[in-house]
This record gives sequence, C-alpha cells and structure tokens, in this order.
Amino acid sequence: MSWEKELIDKANEIIEMYPQKRSALGPLLYLAQEKDGYISNDSIVEISNLVGITEVQVKSVASFYSMYKEEQTGKYLLSVCKSISCEINDSRSVIDSVKNFTGLENYETDTEKVFTFEEVECIGACGGAPAVQVNYETVEGLTSEKSVQMCEWLKEERPEIIVADELQEKFGGVKSFDWAIKDNTGTSYSVPGFQNIGTAKEKSQ
Amino acid sequence: MKETLLLTKHMREFPENSHQIEIYEKNNGYSALKKVLKEGNPENVINEIKDSNIRGRGGAGFPTGVKWGFLAENEDRYLVINGDESEPGTFKDRILLERDPHQLIEGVIITCFASNIKKAFIYIRGEYAKPARRVQDAVQQAYEKGYLGNNILGTNFSLDVVVHLGAGAYICGEETALLNSLEGKRGEPRLKPPYFPAVMGLYNKPTLVNNVETISSVPWIIQNSGKEYSKLGVEGSTGTRIFSLSGHVNNPGNFEIEMGKSFGEFIDTFGKGIKNNKNVKAYIPGGASAPWFTGDQLDIKMTIDDVANAGSMLGSGAIVVMDEDTNLVYAAKSIVSFFAHESCGQCTPCREGTTWLEMILERIASGRGRLSDISLLIDICDNISPGLDWPPKMTTICPLGPSAVSPITSLLNNFSEEITNMLPTKIPITQ
Amino acid sequence: MTDQIKINVNGSEISSKPDQLIIEACEDSGIHIPRFCWHKRMDPVGMCRMCLVEIETPRGKALVPSCTTKVSEDLVVDTESDVVKKAQEGVLEFLLINHPLDCPVCDKAGECPLQDQTMAYGPGESRFVEDKRHFEKPIPISEIILLDRERCILCARCTRFSDEISGDPLIEFIQRGNKTQVNTFPDEPFRSYFSGNTVQICPVGALTSSSYRFKARPWDLKKVSSTSNCSSVGDSVELNVSQNKMLRILGEDNEFTNQGWLSDKGRYNFEYLHSEKRIETPLLVKNSNKESTINETMELISNEIFTSDNRNISFIVGHNSTNEEYYALNKFVKNLNKVKNGNSVGSINLYLSDDYLYNGFFNDDYSLGEIKDLDSADTIILWAQDIKDNLPTLYLRIKQAVRNGKKLLIFGHTNTAIKQLSEEYYGENIVTNNFEFNVEISDIPNLSKYIDGKDVLAIVGKSSPLQNVNPIFQLVKHLDENSNLKILNCFSKGNTLGALQNLDIVKGLNEFVTEFDSSKKNIVFTVGSNPVNNSIYSHKVKDTLIDADFVVSLDLFKNETTELSDIILPTTTFGEKEGTFTNLEMRTLMQNKILPTPGSALNEWEYWLILSNKMNLLESYETEEELNSMLCKDYIDNGNTPSFDNLNKPSNLDGILNSKTINIEVENVDSTNLEILFVHRLYGDTSSQINSPSISMLGSERFIEMNSATYFGSYMLNSDVVTLIQGNNSIQVNVNINESLPDNLLVVPINRRGFQNLNPEKKVELEAAKSREQLSVT
Repeated sequence: MSWEKELIDKANEIIEMYPQKRSALGPLLYLAQEKDGYISNDSIVEISNLVGITEVQVKSVASFYSMYKEEQTGKYLLSVCKSISCEINDSRSVIDSVKNFTGLENYETDTEKVFTFEEVECIGACGGAPAVQVNYETVEGLTSEKSVQMCEWLKEERPEIIVADELQEKFGGVKSFDWAIKDNTGTSYSVPGFQNIGTAKEKSQ
Repeated sequence: MKETLLLTKHMREFPENSHQIEIYEKNNGYSALKKVLKEGNPENVINEIKDSNIRGRGGAGFPTGVKWGFLAENEDRYLVINGDESEPGTFKDRILLERDPHQLIEGVIITCFASNIKKAFIYIRGEYAKPARRVQDAVQQAYEKGYLGNNILGTNFSLDVVVHLGAGAYICGEETALLNSLEGKRGEPRLKPPYFPAVMGLYNKPTLVNNVETISSVPWIIQNSGKEYSKLGVEGSTGTRIFSLSGHVNNPGNFEIEMGKSFGEFIDTFGKGIKNNKNVKAYIPGGASAPWFTGDQLDIKMTIDDVANAGSMLGSGAIVVMDEDTNLVYAAKSIVSFFAHESCGQCTPCREGTTWLEMILERIASGRGRLSDISLLIDICDNISPGLDWPPKMTTICPLGPSAVSPITSLLNNFSEEITNMLPTKIPITQ
Repeated sequence: MTDQIKINVNGSEISSKPDQLIIEACEDSGIHIPRFCWHKRMDPVGMCRMCLVEIETPRGKALVPSCTTKVSEDLVVDTESDVVKKAQEGVLEFLLINHPLDCPVCDKAGECPLQDQTMAYGPGESRFVEDKRHFEKPIPISEIILLDRERCILCARCTRFSDEISGDPLIEFIQRGNKTQVNTFPDEPFRSYFSGNTVQICPVGALTSSSYRFKARPWDLKKVSSTSNCSSVGDSVELNVSQNKMLRILGEDNEFTNQGWLSDKGRYNFEYLHSEKRIETPLLVKNSNKESTINETMELISNEIFTSDNRNISFIVGHNSTNEEYYALNKFVKNLNKVKNGNSVGSINLYLSDDYLYNGFFNDDYSLGEIKDLDSADTIILWAQDIKDNLPTLYLRIKQAVRNGKKLLIFGHTNTAIKQLSEEYYGENIVTNNFEFNVEISDIPNLSKYIDGKDVLAIVGKSSPLQNVNPIFQLVKHLDENSNLKILNCFSKGNTLGALQNLDIVKGLNEFVTEFDSSKKNIVFTVGSNPVNNSIYSHKVKDTLIDADFVVSLDLFKNETTELSDIILPTTTFGEKEGTFTNLEMRTLMQNKILPTPGSALNEWEYWLILSNKMNLLESYETEEELNSMLCKDYIDNGNTPSFDNLNKPSNLDGILNSKTINIEVENVDSTNLEILFVHRLYGDTSSQINSPSISMLGSERFIEMNSATYFGSYMLNSDVVTLIQGNNSIQVNVNINESLPDNLLVVPINRRGFQNLNPEKKVELEAAKSREQLSVT
C-alpha cells in the first residue's frame, strides 16, 4: 500500500528538518516501519521518491541497520541482549526462557504476529544485566522467571503502549542507574517511541 | 575514595526530576550559557576548553580544545553530538541523556556559539528511545525558553538543534560512519585522510563531532574555568570521568570520579566487591574493544596513559568484571560475535576475519575444536592486526576489526589453558 | 603542473606526479601493486586491502592502502616487505574463504584477477573448514546481466560505476558485514545503458553477460583493437573472436574518447554478424529473390547505368562505411560524372540517411573542440539530440566533467534525462516547442554569468528532425562573441564525419525526395542505409523508391528498403573490414578486421571498383591500404595524416585529429507547429539490433513521453497504457510522464516500430487502452 497524504505530509515535515533531503532517510524508514511493522518495498518506493534516490539505494541503507526490519514483526519485538555484561550474567537463561515461551528462534515472528524474538548486541543496560527491550523500551535485571512472566503479561494484556517504567516496575530488577520520576511515555509498535517521528505515545494511568 | 560530582551532581541532587528545565534552571542551569553570551567572546570559550585539557570521552581521547581549533572556516559548519553509545559495557552517556539532557543542550549551545555553528545534531542510538525522548523534550523546552532558535536570549546568535535517532549499528559510533549515517547513507567509516571532520565532515562541511560526556562537561568548565577543571584528575587525564561498572560486582552503575585511582580500589569502593565474594579472574578496563587485564592487575591506575602503558585502553570508560567462575572462552566468543555482527563489511579483513574468528570460537565452544585452531586463531588475528601489538596496527579501514582481536589475544596470552581444555584430546572421527 | 617529485620504492628512486596515489605512481614506473577494488577511472575506496604497502612515517613504518595514500616528496614505500606480503596473503585468504572456487565453470577463469593474484600472492591451501556463505547461483539482474553473489568479493566496482560514472545507481550493497551482498531492487532491474561495463570491470566472475556465458575461454580468444560504430564518439574497443565468431566486445581505455567505457549497445550489438539472416549472396529481389552471382549482378547494374542517356543516379549512404569506402564511392561518383557527356548519365547525387544532418560548423570561422575540452572548459553548452541515447559515452564524459565542477547549460527539450546535471536548464521558458528562442539571447537568465570571458565548449546539433536551425546559429554567434568558444558538432551516428570528410558534397533525405525527378530514369543505390525506416521522410522515400526505375541495395540484411530493391548486394561490416573511422571531433581511428568475409559478400569499395572496371573507368587501387593512402592526400594538415601506418604507431593508438573540407548542402526545414518531438532512443529496430538476440528485446517497448499537464489537461486520461491515434494510424503505447517537457509536446521514439507514419506537425489523440496486449513488438 502506498502512503496516505497524512504520512507524506509527516515525511515532508521531517525532510524539512535537515539541510539535505537524504538525511531524513533514517527517520522516514521508521515511519515506514511504524506503518507496516517492517520496511515494505512499497514504502521503499515512496521514500525513494521523497528523498530523490533510487529504490535500491534506500534498500541498501535500510538493510544496513539492524533496527529496520525486512520482515513483518509482531506487536511486541522482544530484543534480548547477549553482549558481554549480559552474557556473563546469564542472559542465556533469559534467551532460552523467552524462546521456550514464544516457541520462536532468532528473528522469528509467531503466526498471530504477537511476538518477534531476536537476540541483540549491547543495548546499553550493562549495569542492569541481563536486560531486554520490548519495542525498544528497556527492562533491566531480568531473570528467566520474570522474563516468562513478562511475556505472559504481554500476551494476555496486549498493552497498546509499551512503557519502559511500567515493565521495569512489574518485571525488572537491578538497574544501571536510578531512572528518576516515573515516565509514561513509550511506543506502540516495533519502532522506538520518539517525538520527531510521531511514535512517542503516552500511556494514561 | 570518593566520587567527584561534576556532570552527575545535578541528577544526584534532584533524583526525581533533574531532566526538567525548571529544575535545571533553578540549579544554576543555563547560567554558563548566559555568561558566555554576555561576554560575547567565542575565543574565550575555546581558550577555557583548551585550558581544561579535557580529552574526548568517546574513546579515542583526543584533546577537545585542539579539535575545536581545527574547525575550518566555512559558511556552513555543524556540530554533531555522538550519542551512539554502543560499546558493550558502556552506559554512561545514557544516564547523561536521560537524566540531565539540559546540561548537554547547554553544552551544545555554548560549543556552537564558540565555533559559530548554526546547526547542531544530536545523534542518539535508536535503542536509546527513552533517553532520546528526554533530550527531544528538553530541546523543545529550550526552544520555548529562547535558549534555542533565532536570536538566542536576545543576542544575534541563532542555533537549531535536531535530535536524530540511529537505527542499530555500533559502527556509527565511529565519527565518520556517524556522519555518513546522518547523511542518510550506510554507516560505513570514511577513508582517511581527511583525518578530521573538522575539515571535511557532514555534507563535506567543517564539522565538530563530540561525545555526549565531553559536551556535557562544557557548562561546568565555563562556570568554573578551564583551569579549575584541569586541577581535577591527573596530568593527561584531567577532570572527572563517568565509569560504567558492570559484570560480577555487587553494585553496578555509573560512577563519576577523578582519574588516577586504581581499578581494584574502584571496584571495591563502588562495586562493593565481587558477587558471592569471588575473586576477579579478568576485567575489561575500557569497553569491549579493550584488551583484558587479569585479576592480578587490579592495581593499574585509571588514567588514559597508565592503562595504555599496561597494554590496553581506558576507551569508553566501561569496566566489565569477570569473576573466577567465568568461562572466558564464552566471554571472548561473545565479544568476537559482537564485532562480527557489527562489522560494516566494507573492508575484507574485518568482514571476513571477524566472522571466521567467531566461527572457530563457536566450534571450539561446542566441543568441535581442533588442535590447529589455536595457531589459526592467532594467524587470523595477525592478518587483521599485524604484530598483535597494542595500540593495534591494522590491515583494516577502521579499528573495529582489530577490536575483535583483543579478546582473543587476551584469552590466549593469559588464559590459554581455558581454550586448550575445551579442545577434544582426540580428533573426532566424523564432523 | 609538470613538476615531478621523487619517491623511493623498494630502495629505488622513482619520479611521480605530485598528488598522485602511490598505486598510480608505482604503476607509471612499472611497479605493479596487486589490487581488486581500485580502478583508475573511479574514486578509490580502499576496501579490498589488497594494495597495502608499508611507508615510513615519523612514527615508524605504517601499513597503508596504496590506493588511498598520496605520494609526497621523498616518501619511502615498500611494496614487498614481509609485512606487506603477509598482509596480502591474508587478504587473499580472507577473500577466498567464502569464494566458491568454481573456476572450471566460471567465464572469468583465465582472465580473473582473483585467480591470477591468488597464484602470485596467495596462500597455498585453505585453512577454512567452516561452511561457506551461500547465495542462489546466478540471478539475472537485467535482460543481459547475471549476478553470482557467491563469487563476489565486494570490491564496489560495479556499485561505484553505476553511481559515479553512469549515474544510475540501480545496483548496490545490501545488508552489512559478512552478509553484505550486491543486488538490485526487486522489480527494478539493472536497466542501465552502461551495465555491461560492470561486467568488464568485475575482478571476479560475479557479473557476467548472458551473451558471453559459457561461450569461450580467454586463452582461445583472438583479439584485435578497433573502433566502435555505435556512435560518432568512436569508442575504442577490443574485439574478441573465437572460431571466427565475434563473442565479445570490450572497452579500451582511450583517454580522448571513451576512457574504457562502452554503452551496452556498443558492447552487445554484434551477434547479428553471425545471424542466419545475413545476406551472403547477391539477390535478385524482383526475381523472387533468386540468388545470383557478383558477376551477373555487376553486369546488370553496369548495363542499367550505361544503356541509355540521361539517367539520374542517387546514392543514399548510411553511417557504417569506412572512410576508405566513402572515398571509393566518391571516386566512383566522380568517374561517373567524368563520362557524363558520353553515353551516360544525368545528375548524380549523394545523400546521407540522417534526419539530423544540417550545415553545422566547419569552416575556419569557428574553432572546433575536442571531447577532452570538457575537462578544461568552464562551461558546457548542450543543445542537441538526447546525448544519453545518441552519444552515450559522450554523456559519461559530460557527467564526469560536471562532477569535476564544470557548469552544464542545457537548451531545449531533448536532454531532459540529464537535467539534474545542469546548472541551468533552458527549457520552455527560453525555447519554444519549435526550438526557437522565446526571448532575446542576451536576456537569457544567468547565461552571461557562465559564458562571458569563459572557456566554453558548445555541443550543438539538431534536436529534432524538423527544426529551423537558425536559432542554433544565433546562439553560437552569441557564444562566439562573448566567450572563448569551441564547438563540437553533434552528428551522432557512427562514421558520419567520415562520410562528410570523404564525400565531396552531401545532401539529406529531404533533398533526395524533393530533387527526385520521376520524369527521368532513376537509378538509386542505398549503401548500408535503410531510409524507408526510422526517418520522418520514410514514407516519401518509400514512394520514391517504388517510383524509381532501378534500385540497388548494399546491405547485410533484408529490410524495409531492400524490399523495394531490384538487387541486393551483400556487404561486410564492423570486424569484417579494415579501414578508418572519423569521430565527431575529426579524430580518425583504426577499424580492424578479425572476421572472415561471410559468403560471397564484398566490401563496398570492391563493388565500386568492379563497377568502375566494368565501365572501363579504370581505377588505380586494389586494396584498402591504397585507398587509405589516396584519401590521406586531401587532409588539411598533411603533416600527420591518418594513414594505416601512422595509426598503427603506438603513439597514435588513440587516433589522429585531422580535417578535410566539408560541404553539406541541406536546406533548413522549418517547423512552426511541432506537436511531436521525434527522438532516437539508444535501442530501436535496426536490423543489427533485432538480429542480435541478447539485446533484440531492448528496443521493443513502445512509449511516449509528455508532461502531466499535457497528459491530464489535454487528454484527461488516467491510464498509463493508451492508444495513440492520428488519422489512420493507431498505436498502443505506454505513457511516461516527464515533467521537464513543455506543455503540448509529445516525445515519440521514431526508431521503434510503429511511429514513423505519424506527422509531427499534426495533433494526435489519445484514448485509454483496453488491454496491454499490443504494447510491445516482438
């Protein structure tokens, strides 16, 4: 499906922020991912027209970065860290538990499109290892039990908006540092919740 | 041993809401900016930075004042804040972004004023969505209060700041790769020369690329003078640094100290010792790229030069402690996998070599090692980083490839029995 | 500029240009540094790391890539140290671990840099016991190119070429790290006019041509240098032949012309040479195409010429003859004229089959430019046919010049495809749909900024077959008065300039049809030309030829023109004949023979010789070489004439610039109401292309272009497939929207089937088409 006017307007607004159109490529790819849960070829065509480069140039950039997905993700993207601090703090058991619960291997998505599972490299939560991100919202100090509880909760509650603080409160443990005042902003899909791309969403309490 | 709080002072004092502009302003926030704008002398700012002797906090440790001095004349010049913190073990920029974004923004504005820059980008890794939101909120507030935009605080200095989200590529922490990424290209490091983005950077225009922690230090330096700053720490490593401590310690976290104390003292004091009272087998002194030190080397001083002289680097200031029970082959494999995953693929030795190393370690870890694998590992490492020296020589474009060599040489130099113990005594008959 | 600096390489001092890369400086001094990614015509990327060398620095020896490191005075370089050798061996091992080593089935084997360098610098055996990277084996990425990603070593030559050189980045790196691969976008094939160059520069067998796949081994190939007929740039090529079959054409690096690059048409338009449809014996067309003999046909022709008085003889020549053939024809005409007062003929005329012929700029009033002036000019003015389609390798040179900071100003409506390269695009606000100026030339915005006192190279020619050329003359006059002007006459086809140089007086097809006097007996020779196709005069030429008394066609294939002939004489072409070729700069280059003459075909000049002899007009030449020495006498500069001997000297392999007096007598054809802008696309329906299977389909699509205002405003259609109607003509076409075009002008490719009966001065109607079925011609 090609882009609606509203999305194109948003894209042009983003393009305006940069001295050169092509710089907006990254944010526009996030718009595409927010729309479809992955970077569809149709979106690539739209983006190539918007920034004035060829489709394969867009594809080349999109495929370089691991956060732009080539296949449709589930509602909740579970990214379990396996880098050194997590590795030595038994991230393997978290990975195994999540895989076991979801039945998914690395980069797989379930048929109901609820979960996508991936093992990822360092997410900057080393002080709270082992750590996980759900739709790029961080949860620190997980255990294999807590990670399963989190997945169960996501599956049953199907929260529309994922907020780091809420997940941390419910399932997290040791943190990299104090997170300060509770924050209700998060995201609703496998795209980081960020104001400039219109994906930051506030969860009402 | 105590922390010296410069950058993390405000967030400690206001544990709930240090990121809000009213709180920041109440606590002397933006007064360094006001001071600078009142004086109206960009040169003075640069001199203060030079006087402070602050060195870049991204890992390379280049003197910031010198870098600013290189910035070529041009109608269009840019400041790019490198907030692509992705070095395993490192989470110090995260706290600065999330907990004190105005400190960074104030630093950005002062830096741009000093260097006559009208457009700045804060590039934050995509996985740091929450920190990026805090920074974006703060930028918005700063616009509303007249700290950003046209005619800042009534002067004729104007500045726009764009917060840009990365999308999952460690290599974008390399400054020229970051610039490519910001230009909407693949995050591949550029060829050197030109050595400095300050000459040819974003859109081939003169560009300052500075780390979050470096620029967050600017307001304090302006408030208190470069000279005061340079009194902190030790020569060559002035000021404070935020170290990220993780691994098998009782109390992981970010700790801001003056450089110069030993790692052992640091780990004991702030990490509150090793979990379950175990001993340290090895530790990484400066992020995953850095060669490891052993549990016998805890008295090395935490300065850029001391760590370098001992054969490693202070790098991003990330200390990862591994206790006596750690399987170091798995640890090394984890780090090598990281670099293989994050290799941009441009140059042959890194693209092919890091993955090959990963495959061999994987095979050894799964019990399918061969006796010849050890010499093979060494030779592959040597073909990526000839001589296996530190600092590394490279056959590669950028230091990412040689970074994958560090854990292997660390392992083989000091813990070779861990790997030989995993090799089968007999060559298996079938594969 | 000519200052040389000294550097030390492997203990010996060599001199180098300042600012040169180490790899280039060494190459110039005969020291070869192995490399995969570096290519002298493209920006270095330092990716393969094969060219690492050691240099001495204040901090000791450093290992650096010689393709990205520049020389400096007294630089000390070691290209053979143990460290260098170890690094190179390491790089080769890295490149080979994932390489399939399928050399026995690889087209590249035998001329493969990876294979060669592995022998010279590589490790003896593999230490890699893991699984190799696997990809689906070759995937077609266009109609003519296949990609094998397993063989690819990711040197970025193809991706750089398509981005930097040809400007159509349709092939790129996908993924990153160890998963990196080259690929195209789904549904967006590598459809570039220049894609074949990537096959030639691929250092492994990753990119291959479908036309060459499994056809030969390099060591079986016979090779000769030659000059391409594809356009009047005269691209230098190497012809590769095995068992008397042309299998491949490669670009040769001629600094002055193509710099190694070719268009795909120049590269792949050769299979027709061995087509079963080649005419190999003289045919008596009117006698049920009965096969005849040279003797019999020569007898018939000379009888026709001699049997009665007052016959008009016309020659319609094409652009694929050699200079020697044109010269021989011209001599034949002169001989015929000499005996006019005897038992012979009326008027004799030579016509060139090219709608874009006009009187051009040749005399001493203007200084003529060279292609390399693109690199030194401040400003490039382009007002001519679509350069990318008609002079593809000249387009590459223009693109390169623009990349190096030269300012390109484009006039008119034909070069929309390269609008993005231009500094100023003088489209509909400046130039009317009839290619006349809307404004005073002196009032053209910003023109004076780019030309006043500047070095200007103007590439000028007719944009449209129907065009008043006076505005071109006005513009050139203005440029000449205000700048330091050089001119490139944009006659785009093959050896047009050779024809102009060696035929005394040349006229156009319009002259042919208007001068044709049906009251007389008319004998018409068509010589390597097919004027009944691809011309706006085609239908008139057709009527004329039907009306003519005796038509002789010298050609390779039966075509629309030979259908109307009495006799077809089989001739030779590119690769089958030796001779010279003159490009648009007046640079003469060698065309060499490497193939045997098919059947009983003769070179064109041999027919003229036999006919002369038949008529007792005894000629003094017997070979091309003798013709060549004769034609060399007429050059204006007789100090350095393009004789075979001279051209074969090593110093002249890039050709010899020299000129002759040129006389074109073409009347200005005015158009005041142009509705259709006829253009020639690179690919069309010439006999050579449709008889070359690998590229025959590339000219089959029928599409027209117009801007959206015209499309939606005038036609109110909402389908990209429409039926184009004009009078009795109706053709189903695709519509491509091109916003650079002015309102109410339709761009139509006249060299694709179905368009030539349209009247360019009459409006057409468009109707939504019911189906796509008839869209392309098979």
